[in-house]
Amino acid sequence: MKTIQVFDPAMCCNTGVCGPEVDPILPQVAGFLSQLKERGVLVERFNLAQQPMAFAQNLAVRALLNDEGLEALPLFYIDGVLALKGRYPDHDLRAEWICAHVKTESSKEPLQS
Amino acid sequence: MKPPEERAAWLEGAPRFLFFTGKGGVGKTSLACASAVALADTGQRVLLVGTDPASNLDELLAVKLGGAPTAIPNCERLDALNINPVEAAQAYREKIISPMRGLLPETALRSMEEQLSGACTMEIAAFDEFSRLLGERASTAGYDHVVFDTAPTGHTLRLLALPKAWTGFFAANTSGATCLGPLAGLEKQRHIYEAALASLADAASTLVVIVSRAQSASLREAARAHGELDALGIRRQVLILNGLVQPASPGDAVADAFFARQEKALLGAVRFLSILPVHRVALRPHNLLGIETLRGLLGSTQSTPPPRVQPTSIGPIGEFSAPIPLLEKIASAGRGLILTMGKGGVGKTTIAAAVALWLSEKGHRVTLSTTDPASHLSDALEGNRCALTVSRIDPAVETAAYVEQVLAEQSGKLDAESHALLEEDLKSPCTEEIAVFRAFARTVAEAQEGFVVLDTAPTGHTLLLLDASLAYHTEINRKTHSAPEEVSQLLSRLRDPNFTHVLIVTLPEATPVHEAAALQEDLRRAGIEPAAWIVNQSFHRLPLHDPLLAERAHRELPYLKEVLHLAQGPACLIDWQVFEPIGAEALLKIFSPT
Repeated sequence: MKTIQVFDPAMCCNTGVCGPEVDPILPQVAGFLSQLKERGVLVERFNLAQQPMAFAQNLAVRALLNDEGLEALPLFYIDGVLALKGRYPDHDLRAEWICAHVKTESSKEPLQS
Repeated sequence: MKPPEERAAWLEGAPRFLFFTGKGGVGKTSLACASAVALADTGQRVLLVGTDPASNLDELLAVKLGGAPTAIPNCERLDALNINPVEAAQAYREKIISPMRGLLPETALRSMEEQLSGACTMEIAAFDEFSRLLGERASTAGYDHVVFDTAPTGHTLRLLALPKAWTGFFAANTSGATCLGPLAGLEKQRHIYEAALASLADAASTLVVIVSRAQSASLREAARAHGELDALGIRRQVLILNGLVQPASPGDAVADAFFARQEKALLGAVRFLSILPVHRVALRPHNLLGIETLRGLLGSTQSTPPPRVQPTSIGPIGEFSAPIPLLEKIASAGRGLILTMGKGGVGKTTIAAAVALWLSEKGHRVTLSTTDPASHLSDALEGNRCALTVSRIDPAVETAAYVEQVLAEQSGKLDAESHALLEEDLKSPCTEEIAVFRAFARTVAEAQEGFVVLDTAPTGHTLLLLDASLAYHTEINRKTHSAPEEVSQLLSRLRDPNFTHVLIVTLPEATPVHEAAALQEDLRRAGIEPAAWIVNQSFHRLPLHDPLLAERAHRELPYLKEVLHLAQGPACLIDWQVFEPIGAEALLKIFSPT
């Protein structure tokens, strides 16, 4: 895995603490992405309320939004390929992505998902 | 007592930035305007800035102000603008959304708009404007002085403290996963906040004028503001004692009492009064509206007060209701929520405390609670003998508790990394808004089992709370996982006239009445109808001979008439009290005519 791109729905912040209640998957995903970043993966995260231009300029994302509406969000692209649509990756899927895409170097501890 | 000054001595050697602060209703907007006019009259180019969501600058200057400087007629070299958080947020929203029109589907635009409509956006957008004026030289390059008419004290101090908190926030934030909420791009403007902070602490560029009335609560608040400003490193301060009275004709019981109350309050604050340079400004009989009247306030020109209002032009003012039947009606349900709302300084706290006391004396279970950061509830209830619970919604305490609760709920579900990220996001300014909002909802829910009397924060902040509740209402309906019952039920409780009684409190003066009218409109937009209007501190029914006070009483008439016209339900009149309404006995007295 070289890059992962996330297109989030309109949120106040990535961990969702700004809503009336925290959905635990949001900080989990934030932590996961942060770990990937430390592993040298290029992580790009766009929030519809804050970086709408990223949605508008990406033709694939724009098409999905037009066809399926907000239900399509969030979107996860791994190395440019759509990996997940309409939900956040749960624990198992995050583990799967790591196994399939991230080479664990011997010098580093294995990734936790 | 030293006589009031004839000119504005605090303006001698005035630096580039001047701030006026003080408890609501002390006259800081009038003094800020009069000072700006006086500076402009000496040949300086002046920008006057309102930072209050409910600013009355428009009314004082007789000009419709917006977010950009507007030239003030009849006063060369003076421009003014008003930072309205609602409009600043709107402008910010438009800046983000408009380039997306035609590119993204309508549903996406609506969702962005909804997310950018919270109280947080408003707070941050207004703060951004404020910092720009203070920290970006180019934004005020054409002016010799920038005079800020700041919002009521609690909010002002928060605003002033923000640059410090934020500069620290940027420095401490390492992962870049910030929750700076709607203005994520803010960090790019970091140098502006740093410059703003430096300006505030520099005695050569900033003077803070603390305005107080010669009343104990007002003086205590001034002393508190002085201490907090000092702690922020803002050292150059002066104090103005505004609205001082010297009895003209001895023997007028009310005027003598007014003078005695004033002298007693000054004596009680004698230590504080020795710390700062003190200036004195006399009470004026008329409302300070218009440039010429403002010039008259500081004696920069000889001006005659506006002509006396002729009784014939007013007509009969109609009937005010007695407060006791209103209270009896509220009490009959055995439970409910009573909110006192209105401009800062009109006596919301006093009325709330008196209502709570009255209900508890009738044997009801009563909680008196406040969201006002500058509250003096415990002062008002000095020596309270009733079994009455007094609580306070303290933003700092609420935030700490909320952070702890969120972290506790998530512990076990998160690895160390995610936990750290969550903890970092919880340091954002949005967290406080949410924590206070939840506390508000919780307090409202308590009124299920008794009476809750809430002395709400000044108008602007109150509206932010209500607005937040509306925004949350939308958000909650959309989310699948459930919000706490007290949050989801909040709006329907506030809208239920058998549960919630909003008492709009005002003084018989132009600005408080007009702000209260605007507040009533906002409440109606939110589906809430005020239960009653209460006109506080009226001289109208008192026997007066002192020409100054008699003139003031006379000038109440058009505003009393306006209140009767505005109130859908009963309107009650509370007389100006010969003894400051502190302590249970004096508080209960306010409901019976003097």
